[in-house]
Amino acid sequence: MPAISWPKGGVVSEQGHVVVTGANGWLGRALVARLAAPTDGRSDVRVVAVARDHLEGRALTEFASTFPSANIDIRFADFGQPGEFDQLFSGLVGPIEVVHTAGVIHPRHFSEFERVNADGTRKLAAAARRTGVVRFVHVSSNSPFGVNAITTDRFRQIEPYHPYLEYGRTKMLGELAILDEVERGLYALIVRPPWFYGPFQPARQTTFFSMVKSGRFPVFGAGDQHRSMVFVENLVDGILATRNWTGPAGHGWWVADREPYTVAEIVHTVGRALADEGHDVQPPRLNLPDFVGNVAEKADRFLQKSRRYVQQVHVLGEMNKTIACDISATTRDLGYEPRVDLYEGMRRSIRWCAANGIEL
Amino acid sequence: MSTTDYRCDVLVIGSGAGGAPTAALLAEAGLDVIVAEEGPWVDQGSVVPFSLEQMDRQYRSGGVTVALGLPSVAYTEGRCAGGGTEVNSGLYRRPPQEVVERWRTNWRIDDLDPDAIDVLAREVESALSVQPLPGPAPAPSERLRLGAERLGWTHDESPRWMTYPTGDSRQGQRQSMTRTYLPRAMSAGARLMTDCRVDKLRLGADRVEGADVEFTNGRRATISCRAVIVCAGAIQTPALLQRSGIRRNIGRTLAVHPTVKLAARFTDELNVPDDVPVHQVKEFAPDLSFGGSASHPGLVALALLDQWEDFRDAVVAWREIAVYYAAITSQGRGRVMAVPGLRDPIVTYHLTRRDRALLCSGLTRLALLMLEAGATDVFPSYRGAPRVKSRRDLATIEDTFSATRASVMTVHLCSTVPMGEDSDRCGADSHGRVHGFANLYVNDASLLPDAPGVNPQGSVMAVALRNARHFLAEGWSRV
Repeated sequence: MPAISWPKGGVVSEQGHVVVTGANGWLGRALVARLAAPTDGRSDVRVVAVARDHLEGRALTEFASTFPSANIDIRFADFGQPGEFDQLFSGLVGPIEVVHTAGVIHPRHFSEFERVNADGTRKLAAAARRTGVVRFVHVSSNSPFGVNAITTDRFRQIEPYHPYLEYGRTKMLGELAILDEVERGLYALIVRPPWFYGPFQPARQTTFFSMVKSGRFPVFGAGDQHRSMVFVENLVDGILATRNWTGPAGHGWWVADREPYTVAEIVHTVGRALADEGHDVQPPRLNLPDFVGNVAEKADRFLQKSRRYVQQVHVLGEMNKTIACDISATTRDLGYEPRVDLYEGMRRSIRWCAANGIEL
Repeated sequence: MSTTDYRCDVLVIGSGAGGAPTAALLAEAGLDVIVAEEGPWVDQGSVVPFSLEQMDRQYRSGGVTVALGLPSVAYTEGRCAGGGTEVNSGLYRRPPQEVVERWRTNWRIDDLDPDAIDVLAREVESALSVQPLPGPAPAPSERLRLGAERLGWTHDESPRWMTYPTGDSRQGQRQSMTRTYLPRAMSAGARLMTDCRVDKLRLGADRVEGADVEFTNGRRATISCRAVIVCAGAIQTPALLQRSGIRRNIGRTLAVHPTVKLAARFTDELNVPDDVPVHQVKEFAPDLSFGGSASHPGLVALALLDQWEDFRDAVVAWREIAVYYAAITSQGRGRVMAVPGLRDPIVTYHLTRRDRALLCSGLTRLALLMLEAGATDVFPSYRGAPRVKSRRDLATIEDTFSATRASVMTVHLCSTVPMGEDSDRCGADSHGRVHGFANLYVNDASLLPDAPGVNPQGSVMAVALRNARHFLAEGWSRV
């Protein structure tokens, strides 16, 4: 794991703690790794990595051991369970920051969406306020804002809620819960990543690579739908860049790569990155008419109305949509500049898979 | 019933944004011009702007005209000397250069130079005294500006064809055709026949010989001429051509800017019944634009009507309410069809799936803007709409909105006789001459090949000046 420099202003008090929820997740690990390995060689950040259960705890312990000089404390909280989360902060001395990355995007049980993304966020934010957390960064999503009406549209910094299915609805409720706590005095900010990619990826992303490799990644119509994506290290930059903000609480920012890509461009670029990393890549050949995506979306809506979630149907139903954001306010307000583009980011992802024994 | 014959060099049909400048230029060049106008002459200031009385006197069918479809799209047409310029908002936009370039390339229009159109637009601006307000904008306009500013959305003040003799923004004088190009035309000798509807053109094999007209009092007449220039607007121009037997590429490609609207209630009495906002939000242009609508009490009630059971209590507070619109550039198209036996044509319009999605997005974003501007209640105009009081409520718009439930309307109609050399699609050539005819021209909004994405009167007038000059330079000598 190469060390990556801190963004401007990214200094944490020696006495403080950064509590990272969802620490064993894709983003959580990338964030913990960054916090644990600052470029100046010092590990003056105390990270509290929150695991859901002991299985995750063991995995995190092993992960933490790869940063021997880092000060990583592992604690437990299952945001899908009843109860409050004040104990998560007990005994922590000095200012506490929270980065709440925990969330459910592909649930095992449908009710997890609401229990984790909405209720869990609400209870954590309330506990953070009661504890006196100095800064709470909530990781939200594009889904509370739905999809763009046309391919050339871009979500601006402030948009009306327009949630896309249950994930979008519950992430919206999560945001609203944060804003309620802001009203009560919590200093909270929101970052909104779209589709992300990069090291520490879960198994489903391996499927993404293997589909592109075999030429079977579904492209709808001309593949001219636009998608914002974010390399996970860019996302970590964006999260840490919220420390540059000294304005009022309650603001939210998109954190994405510089410009959205077309789906055709994504498939082409990933194919090129795979080929340049020595993989045998077949040309794209799964071209689907647009209505298939609409049918999949309707099927997904039907299933979710009956509180069922089928990942493949959901992903297919989203693939013919434009989900694209404008990051200019993030650059203006936070000084965020995405440093890695799609090609380079995908190459790094592929190398990470190889280094971690993941076969593509 | 008696018949009177009139003779002239050129018969101009319609006296609005296309007809008035055409008549002025031709008359000033020494041609004998008759302008036939279906509606009456109504002095500016003799009726209250945006009032129901104005709709009754200066609009076609009292302002109640509709393009059929799912949903139907209500539209309005001016029907008076000066046409739509007498009754519209007076908001001026120079034709966007990229739009002119798009027209030139996509429709193979010869000599349509964006820079030359820009020069003509400046001529229009000078003739109509186009200028910004000399003082503060009306309060509903300021709210729109404020909301956009808080959201960081691009917005500006649209200049208007108005003069302000007292320096007071509230006492502007509209520089419509009855104050500008029509007096110019008449002082150069043009004859304006008001209350005179053209029933039919008299056609030869490849020429037009004149027209049969009927006056409001029932008298009929024939006008003979060497050339006819039809400037009756994007609905009546194709209807007249079709009634006369000309149908190829006529009336098949109606383009409009569909709009949806909402009413926003504030905590103070901001309603200005006799004026409209001048600010427009262009952050999402050209696909999506926001602006303010006329907010006469009757129109406030109309905006609340779709969800009357839930919204009607607000109508008594109309002084605290202003109406706003979200307009889209539509990929849909409509048709104008003259039907034998019917005085008015049947008009249809089809919104595409993309148009519907954009209308929903536009209405929701506009509602957000209103909340940012300080609205306490937002009333979107569609059946089943929620009363929006917070950002949380905005999420319910998506669940309940569909274009078929909405009051979709438009005031910008164009493209029913598109100009260009692509004879498979165009009804007229690059300068408005109807294909297949030596001396029959169109010179109004019908010629614009698609909707420009901005208030179109500036574009209509610039193109009309261009074509009128081309007619004088080349067309007249051939007729």
